[in-house]
Amino acid sequence: MKAFAFQRVTDAEDAVRALAARSGSMFLAGGTTLVDLMKVDVLTPDTIVGVRPLGLSSIDVSDEAITVGANVTNSHLAWHPVVRDRYPVLSEAILSGATTQIRNMATVAGNILQRTRCSYFRDIHALCNRRQPGSGCDALNGFNRGHAVLGVSEHCIATHPSDMCVAMAVLDADVHTVRPDGTKRSLPFGEFHHAPGDTPHVEVSLEHGELITHIVIPHLPAARRSHGVRDSLAAAFGVDPADVRVLVPFVGGAFGAGLRVWPHTILAALAARVTKRPVKLVLTRAQMFTSIGHRPNTIQQLSLGATRDGQLTAIEHISTSSIGMSDELFYPITNGTTDGYACPNVTTRATQIRQSVPTPGWMRAPGEAEGSFALESAIDELSYALGIDPIELRVKNHAHVHPESGLPWSSNALLECYRKGAERFGWSARNPKPRSMRNGRQLVGYGMARAALIAFQPACKAIASIRRDGTAFVRSGATDIGPGPYTVMTMLAADCLGAPIERVQFSLGDSAMPKAPAEGGSGLTGALGNAVQAACVDLVRAFVGRVTADASSPLKGCRMEDITVRDGGIQITDDPARFETYAEILARHGLDEITVEGESAPPGETSSTAMVARAGRFVPFTAPSTGARAHAGAYAAHFVEVHVDPDLGTVRVARVVSAVDGGRILNPKTARSQIIGGIAGGIGMALLEETVSDRTGRLATTSLAEYVVAANADVRDVEVLFVGQPDSMSPLGTKGVGELAIAGMGAAIANAVYHATGTRVRSLPISIEKVLGNEA
Amino acid sequence: MSQAGIAPTGKHLVVTTLCVNNTTHEISLDSRVTLLDALRDVLGLTGTKKGCDQGACGACTVIIEGQRVLSCLMLVAACEGQHVVTIEGLAVGDELHPMQAAFLHCDAFQCGYCTPGQILSAVCAVEEVHAGVPSHVTPEVRQTVNAVTLTDEEIRERMSGNLCRCAAYPNIVAAVRQILSAEVRS
Repeated sequence: MKAFAFQRVTDAEDAVRALAARSGSMFLAGGTTLVDLMKVDVLTPDTIVGVRPLGLSSIDVSDEAITVGANVTNSHLAWHPVVRDRYPVLSEAILSGATTQIRNMATVAGNILQRTRCSYFRDIHALCNRRQPGSGCDALNGFNRGHAVLGVSEHCIATHPSDMCVAMAVLDADVHTVRPDGTKRSLPFGEFHHAPGDTPHVEVSLEHGELITHIVIPHLPAARRSHGVRDSLAAAFGVDPADVRVLVPFVGGAFGAGLRVWPHTILAALAARVTKRPVKLVLTRAQMFTSIGHRPNTIQQLSLGATRDGQLTAIEHISTSSIGMSDELFYPITNGTTDGYACPNVTTRATQIRQSVPTPGWMRAPGEAEGSFALESAIDELSYALGIDPIELRVKNHAHVHPESGLPWSSNALLECYRKGAERFGWSARNPKPRSMRNGRQLVGYGMARAALIAFQPACKAIASIRRDGTAFVRSGATDIGPGPYTVMTMLAADCLGAPIERVQFSLGDSAMPKAPAEGGSGLTGALGNAVQAACVDLVRAFVGRVTADASSPLKGCRMEDITVRDGGIQITDDPARFETYAEILARHGLDEITVEGESAPPGETSSTAMVARAGRFVPFTAPSTGARAHAGAYAAHFVEVHVDPDLGTVRVARVVSAVDGGRILNPKTARSQIIGGIAGGIGMALLEETVSDRTGRLATTSLAEYVVAANADVRDVEVLFVGQPDSMSPLGTKGVGELAIAGMGAAIANAVYHATGTRVRSLPISIEKVLGNEA
Repeated sequence: MSQAGIAPTGKHLVVTTLCVNNTTHEISLDSRVTLLDALRDVLGLTGTKKGCDQGACGACTVIIEGQRVLSCLMLVAACEGQHVVTIEGLAVGDELHPMQAAFLHCDAFQCGYCTPGQILSAVCAVEEVHAGVPSHVTPEVRQTVNAVTLTDEEIRERMSGNLCRCAAYPNIVAAVRQILSAEVRS
């Protein structure tokens, strides 16, 4: 932000005089436009005159009109009982835009004077006649889906973003002002704003320094990851990793962005080295679209062959995806197709094309989220071509063993997911004919899809201690990006040690702690949980080792298989009277604590290098107890009801039922939250989220106003059912549920949209244009 | 970026008196400093989060004079004499505000980054419902008596000024519903 003087004034005359005195001065009211645009240097006033202290914040009602002060907030106006009663169009128009917080800040005058949301206007590196007269207009041939159709000129096609102004114009409101010379005037609303014409930079009929004081509306007639960062920083600066310590007790979100070290981390460390001071580096929202990875673009071709009775005979899945010019990224889009269905002939090919784009990164369910959209959409299309119910078709082609290796699944409750999910959802009420179901004037569509994610478990270590006071302290250098390792590992350790949960502390997020993998690939709960369980079991074993030869212990002579843990101690299973607490054992042996390290290893045939460990997702696991080889994965069936407006093409996801086989669920509450998060991510992917770069390669969607993610109102009735059994390939029995639910969601929604409308949308997001059939 | 002006130096210092969580501060800051940066970096109140820094995500929501607003788009200089409540001002000692307790009970967060803003927003949303003010989904804005029936649709709309990438939305709705139904019972 450029420097400016801030001037306080107390009355309107002072304000206009203060402003008129300098050509580069501007009024500040709510700040929702001005501060925002000053931050990106689009507006660079040298003086700011704050007008909130002027009052002008009342709404006065008379028999002829309602007078609205310039500083009245949008909320105040929309919620005012008389406005609601007499001018509902005004309330509704205001409430349809922005958020409550913004409406609580934004003033009426500010709303009228707000600037266009055209992304080229908001980017000082783009050409814009409105911002810089005569420079040109990048929007004309750029990203202009939301721009004006009427009233445009060859110099500008931007729109005024206010909904309120439309209502004001309809209501024949007048804008009252005071000019720098002290005279007052009023302007009809219809004459206040200018169409761009030859002078798009002249937006309104105000002279410099003229202040809006009030609006008069006449009455109507009858009216993540600590060790990876440590090692990367050590390598970048040529220092010993032991001399680098990374602390990340909390990480907000990440969804894959934390799986590698991005440039800003190195830059922050570099800046601290140069300045010899602590440095804090905050990326702008726009920088986050270019410097911390993104889901690559894909073009996919999918061909299916089947017999008339619905038996798949061939699947071909070819994908091309984007990658940056210099980085490498293993991103297998078609992998999920290789073992998705029992089919004798399957070929897949995933190709990456280098482009001059920011480097993509692994995003939630990398490969599966994208690939499943093509596969599960195609299976749905096949069901209509054959006249077979989509669930029946999937059941018919269910892979009872791994279709390529012929080895069994370690566990697979997908058929149960189909059955229980369909029952809960009420699938039997579905009329199979597209465009056959309605709710009022809304078209109703039911769609479903299968989701799968092959289990992944990297190597992990943890340490567990029990201290003299009987408290347990368990830790590992893992991170918690939100799924809840803090909670779940505390519960697990308490369970393994038989200790009250409030006596157990679990810590993470410190590179000085034992080495753990990044939280990704839905593998941390399994990896960390198995390590924590191993450490805790060995800790109990260490206590048993102490007491078994101890003549003064009631547990003398016990073996591991004889004991049960409870109430912060150990008892002989068959004799509850033979019990001793950990604290008593430590005290008698004169020990401050006993500490044991535990580790878990990938149950597959993998080496320890990161890349091969990741490839461990795709080879069979070996059961620790029996040595049997099998493929492991988590499964789900999504059922979606959409409501589509037949005239406007708007799609709403009315409800979702997901039946999930995640193996053992350690904490149903947090696991359910993970599935809900994946479903909502899938709703965003299917309907809202799109990174657009225009012809020049410029990203046009670099704020959350342009890159739209699901808000609360977009995520309605969501139900999660857990089915299946603990998995046999891991001591803990988990399979990983963090990414599972976003797989298949895009297709489930697209399939429901087809059922509702008869229009098959094969590209994401499913925008209004595509639903209305104007764009493939 | 905008954080550069946080030190009490610069060409345009403005002295502002504001009251945060019942403590009055007189601070002299560069005119460019937003309330968000001042709360976090000057007053040490890091509960208020910087999400997008451009008024689109709601993570920086605070309550000023009883209304939920976005601190990222508010200059400190424009807050003269204002009363600000942040997430740190909600609990009384160790006793959580009922909305904080409801968020915990309902698992209404995952990574927690948006949570302070969500909770403050939810507190105000409940107040707004009590005041009977309408939202975008209120069927009839003209009705002022018993104007708002608190359906899940209403809660979702009123809480849509706060984005949650983890999408704890259904659980956030449950938390707000829990508070409102507890009020109805008592």
